[in-house]
Amino acid sequence: MWLFLLRRCGLAVLIVMLAVSALYLMIHAIPGDPASIILGPRATDEMKAALYIKMGLDQPVYMQLASFFGNIFQGDLGYDVFSQRDVTDIVLEQLPWTLALIFASVFWAALVGIPLGCYSALHANTWFDTLTGIVSVGTIAIPSFVVAIYSLLVFSVSLQWLPAIGAGEQGNLLSQLEHLILPAFAVGLGWVGYISRLVRASMLEVMGSNHIRTAKAFGLPSRWITFRYALRLAILPTVTLLGVGIGYLLSASLFAEIVFARPGIGKLIFDAVSTRNYPVVMGSVLVTTGLFVIATTLADFVNALLDPRIRAGR
Amino acid sequence: MAINTIQKGLRLSRRTLLMAGTVIGLNMMVPFSMAAGSDEVLQSRSYVDITSLDPANYLNAVDEDVMGAIYSKLIYFKPGNTWEWELQAAESIEQVDATHIKFKLKEGIQFSNGFGEMTAEDVKFSFERAAFGENPAAAADWGGALEEVEVTGKYTGVIVLKKPYQPLWNLALSYAAGNIISQKAYESVGEFTNSPPASSGPYIVKEWRPKQKVILERNPDYYGEPSAYKEIHINQIDDEKTAEIAFESGNLDVTRISMSSVQSYRETPPDNSQLQVFPSLFYVWLGINFENPKLQDPRVRQAIQYAVDVPSILQASYFGEAEASTGIIAPGLLGHRAQSLIAPQADIAKAKALLEEAGVSNLELSLDVLNKATNVTTAQIIQALLSQIGIKVNINQHEAGSFWTLGSEKAGERWKNIELILNRYSMVPDPYYATVNFITSQKGKWNWERFSNEEFDQLNEQAQAELDLAKRGEMYQRMQDLMEESGSYRFITHEAEPLAIRNSVAAGLRPDGRPLYRHFKPAN
Repeated sequence: MWLFLLRRCGLAVLIVMLAVSALYLMIHAIPGDPASIILGPRATDEMKAALYIKMGLDQPVYMQLASFFGNIFQGDLGYDVFSQRDVTDIVLEQLPWTLALIFASVFWAALVGIPLGCYSALHANTWFDTLTGIVSVGTIAIPSFVVAIYSLLVFSVSLQWLPAIGAGEQGNLLSQLEHLILPAFAVGLGWVGYISRLVRASMLEVMGSNHIRTAKAFGLPSRWITFRYALRLAILPTVTLLGVGIGYLLSASLFAEIVFARPGIGKLIFDAVSTRNYPVVMGSVLVTTGLFVIATTLADFVNALLDPRIRAGR
Repeated sequence: MAINTIQKGLRLSRRTLLMAGTVIGLNMMVPFSMAAGSDEVLQSRSYVDITSLDPANYLNAVDEDVMGAIYSKLIYFKPGNTWEWELQAAESIEQVDATHIKFKLKEGIQFSNGFGEMTAEDVKFSFERAAFGENPAAAADWGGALEEVEVTGKYTGVIVLKKPYQPLWNLALSYAAGNIISQKAYESVGEFTNSPPASSGPYIVKEWRPKQKVILERNPDYYGEPSAYKEIHINQIDDEKTAEIAFESGNLDVTRISMSSVQSYRETPPDNSQLQVFPSLFYVWLGINFENPKLQDPRVRQAIQYAVDVPSILQASYFGEAEASTGIIAPGLLGHRAQSLIAPQADIAKAKALLEEAGVSNLELSLDVLNKATNVTTAQIIQALLSQIGIKVNINQHEAGSFWTLGSEKAGERWKNIELILNRYSMVPDPYYATVNFITSQKGKWNWERFSNEEFDQLNEQAQAELDLAKRGEMYQRMQDLMEESGSYRFITHEAEPLAIRNSVAAGLRPDGRPLYRHFKPAN
């Protein structure tokens, strides 16, 4: 288990470094001059040159990358000359909003999706199963920004039950929860469908396996078989999906952040790329890539914990 | 069992848990707690986040919207439909000659946080810091014209200029770089961005939540009448459609709306609200590269000017809600032309004749545009219009980061490829702010059409110094004639600024619809 853990962590660091480097090279490859964008039409050449030096852009790209990674090991994500603030502060300000949105979305999607999939599998080919199948595929197919806009029109504009914009008052958990409902609904709705379909398929497969048949033959109660033996195995692909899905959720959260005018890391990256704000792009992408890698690694661990065969490398 | 465990862990009784659930449920049923429409709190919207509330380091117009409420200037724009300024921190101000402006401060203007009374020393500190600083926006507002601010008494001083500089009245003194900060307060913190150490306006910054909102609150130390609102929340919402939803759901009191929604807001405005449409200071034009080998024959450029039918663009891209422009200087401003040399309507026959005269056929051109819906629609209309005279247009869409460096010689070789370009700049209410982008020395910087005209350059210099306003206005009119005669510009529109405003709010707005927050008050 320790070797497995070590190997996965090493791989995770390598992936993060490669991803950030690749993105940095790509941003440099596309046209755009941060000095012109930041300073605007009234900047002189001298002002632009000074900004370039301040941002370290007068150095070759490989030197910029080397100094970026060098600074990371000292816990420094760099300095944003645009807002005159540390990138670490900027990223840490925005990250919790996105994390809250992602966790809330996944949480309610799993809460609804897992029992739904499980129930559908146990009642396969009934009208309920057919109906959940249609609804699930339907929710997967609807883009989250469409759900976001319609939920806003219904719950904010027509009914005026829920706030349309923002993330809630600082230090007021109730207000923040209130502001989280619609975005989490919009981002998570498609995942209800994904999860329920996946759990249903896995459950059907597991329920047909030998050990479940044996358990049934021994006369164990069906609830015991379902929750103790079948669901434990059937949930493994869902755990993996949720881990890998962090990447998707980050991009879906960008839409939610724009539509609901919420703060968050997705909007931060979007704005930073548009203005070629390299330090913020690098810092925030490093953190989000790290998050993605941590989530997939965690999913691997959870799978390994749930299934001894994975631990044994079989 | 599980619920019991949760209750135990949180040390809640079953009754408390039920009550908490009920409170949450009820809370969901009542409208948004910070809902708009309150006499105490004004909910407004900005399209970007603030960058700096230090007048010497400001970067965007939203910075000035906030600074206008928290600081004082010698003079400031009056709310209303005409471009006028009024005295603010100044008791009097007078242009003694072309390079000397005498001022006297009102007595008793206090800076918050105990930093004392505003004096002429603070004016000197603020103006010189902005004019001689490294920030291009603030320094350019002063146009390199400031020599010094001479302090002649506790409340009196003289602004001494190196050269006559008339944009000073609409740009340096009454806009962002003209905000006066406390020297003592600044020196106590060294530097600041969005947490000013002291304010002298009716509001102070209560809180800045990055990418969310700026909250202003009543300044208890304000020397004048207390502000009408206890708090102003300026919510950052970049998407106009989101802002409209927020307005309709009652979360905003005032917001700019999209052009596409103007018609529906006019016919059926949301409850207790009204639509007001203001002429904006933006200017939109089709640029035709003066130096591009395909476009060097002036007849080809003129053919393009005549082939572009501006009313069609206004109808399709601006839903018939914007007017055709006559140049780069908007109506109501000094130097505005009543008419353009070429009528807004297309003259296809003339355009074809010009092309024929030039002996050009099968011309294929690229048109660079920003990837915004309005711009892309306009480009498609231009594409269709130019096809009528046999010019094939390929549209190149660019995202913002790429688009805004297209004509920059510092950003590579792409400037050489510009043939046609759809562009949109903004300005403040002085004509100099617009014309300065098109002088010869701006070629390869912001003059992407690479237009060059000696008379234009000379007029741009002379008009800055001209004290006679009528003469100055004529100079700017002539400059726009020269731009149009060059064949490099087809002026399209100044757009419009449509605002949705709650009936409970008496909005204090500049003639172009920008907010003057200190003048906002409840309508009753």
